[in-house]
Amino acid sequence: MATWEQKREIEELLSREAHLLDEHRYEEWLALFTEDVDYVIPLREHIQGDVPPAGHPVVKDDKLMLTARVKKHQTGFSHVEVPVSMTCHLITNILVEDGPSAGELEVLSSFIVRQARKLRDEAWWAGRRRDVVRREDGQWKIARREVILDAPIYPRSLSIFF
Amino acid sequence: MVSVAELRERVNWKEGRISPAILFDEDVYELERERLFGRAWLVVGHEDMIPKPGDYVTNYMGEVPVMVTRDLAGKIHVLVNRCMHRGNQVCLFDRGNVQQFVCSYHGWTYDVAGKLIGVPLEEPLYRDELNKAENGLEEVPRVANFKGLLFASFDAAAPSLEEWLGEDVCWWLQTYVLVEHLGGLEMLPGWHRYQSPGNWKLHAENYIGDDYHVFASTHVSWFKVVGDLLEKGLLSPEMMTPGGERGTKYEGSAGAGYGRGIPFGMGMVVLDDSVYEFDLKEARRLGPEAVEWVQERHRRFQEVLKDREPKPYSFMNGAIFPNLGLMGFYSTAYGRHFLLFHPRGPWEHEVWQWTMVEREAPKAIKELAVQRVYRGQHMAGTIGQDDPENFERLTEMMRARRNWRRPFHYGLQLGHEAEGPEGLPGNLGPNPSEVNQRQFYKFWLELMESE
Repeated sequence: MATWEQKREIEELLSREAHLLDEHRYEEWLALFTEDVDYVIPLREHIQGDVPPAGHPVVKDDKLMLTARVKKHQTGFSHVEVPVSMTCHLITNILVEDGPSAGELEVLSSFIVRQARKLRDEAWWAGRRRDVVRREDGQWKIARREVILDAPIYPRSLSIFF
Repeated sequence: MVSVAELRERVNWKEGRISPAILFDEDVYELERERLFGRAWLVVGHEDMIPKPGDYVTNYMGEVPVMVTRDLAGKIHVLVNRCMHRGNQVCLFDRGNVQQFVCSYHGWTYDVAGKLIGVPLEEPLYRDELNKAENGLEEVPRVANFKGLLFASFDAAAPSLEEWLGEDVCWWLQTYVLVEHLGGLEMLPGWHRYQSPGNWKLHAENYIGDDYHVFASTHVSWFKVVGDLLEKGLLSPEMMTPGGERGTKYEGSAGAGYGRGIPFGMGMVVLDDSVYEFDLKEARRLGPEAVEWVQERHRRFQEVLKDREPKPYSFMNGAIFPNLGLMGFYSTAYGRHFLLFHPRGPWEHEVWQWTMVEREAPKAIKELAVQRVYRGQHMAGTIGQDDPENFERLTEMMRARRNWRRPFHYGLQLGHEAEGPEGLPGNLGPNPSEVNQRQFYKFWLELMESE
């Protein structure tokens, strides 16, 4: 069972993360993840009856791929982020539970993200996240993240992070 | 209503000048609904999406929602998703397996072949006066299966699918897309979908022939990242594009003037061994089974192509008129992307993507191939995310009608189309080029002109 102190630290971690993303401080954002992080956005579908599950997710990144995405945006030629999107990550409904193994915690949170592109283009993204966090080098890091996006059809191509 | 003369003026494909009006004019869009989406053969899916009786997948034909079903006898139907009573949508799911579709409004019930099998309180309320046989779901009259790929047409008088496609298109489609000689493709279920600004044709013509944007501007950030990370040894070459000297890659065109049938365009048709060597190199990293497969599939390709010269290894991107995009057909280690560009009014469209891999490839290759789909040319991938950004910017410009006056420029390699090796069905010409966009609009005009 997570302690009050742990809950407070995790809430701060998630708030800090949201601010880093909204300020486009991607290097610092990447540092919040463990080296063996698994970052997944599964495909959401409306399924009826007995059929096989989705064949592949929308995103399944390791640290290297997350880094490659950040580096792509930093080239200055990642047109989908030129000019960079203004984002507002609202993170709430945070629950801190026991994790899958000792020293780890499972963290549930909900989010609404508004992405503003150029002058008038925008997208609203909402969903939940299921994270596994563990302490490394004296701080909490995200070792696994599953983003459950409430969007059977994405409102635009995905170029921001949750 | 837009006149034939106006359409001709707007589509000057011979000189490579196309008016923005054919993308954004409401009247053109209305005519397109009827003359293009109302009668063309449209891809509605693949038979492996619905392997079992009772399986279905929902899709669109133009803006018309349809269910593609397999009935209990195994027959495939394409049904309009509209209750015959009051027009309610009867199926709300993306895919499934059911015995019947039940309308939520009054409960009219249809079997998976579309037959009306149940009407609540039929006996007391309709007193035997309702002809159930006449009130089955509307069945799209023409459905055809081309080696697994399912097509449908609303036009009962449409030519046969083979005639519509044309002999040369069929050859490319079966040899390089559906690859029976390799054991065919394996389905990874699920639609990956997103909304994109702009008319649906922007995406279709991008896939059919625009390799110019790939290396010149749109995707350069991706190349830079891959190159940098490779240099530092930080990235496996999984995202590397096989090289090849200039002149070994061609633009492939079939149909619409390059033989009969519809436009089928292929970008980066690779004639040399560069991709084969790349595949072999990758396979060595993945193990002996992978090497064996790469060699075996090469042998099978040589066998299929034994009476042809030259013998292309593969192509990268392509599209079949009107709205099916193809991607990843140039290496066994790239998954096959099939993308439908569905119209949603003149200003917007949706991309519906599904993925396949070569069925007989070893597991390690399949896994890599799938990963490359969603990390690359995909709505969340580092390549595919940039394409709709162009369409959004362009669309913003076209809100001012004044900006329709100047036609778009499709003049790349105009007059040089035939400067490629001969011997294959259709035409091979210089790549990159805009020959396939010109052929796309040539055929589009023919279809739109004919009453």
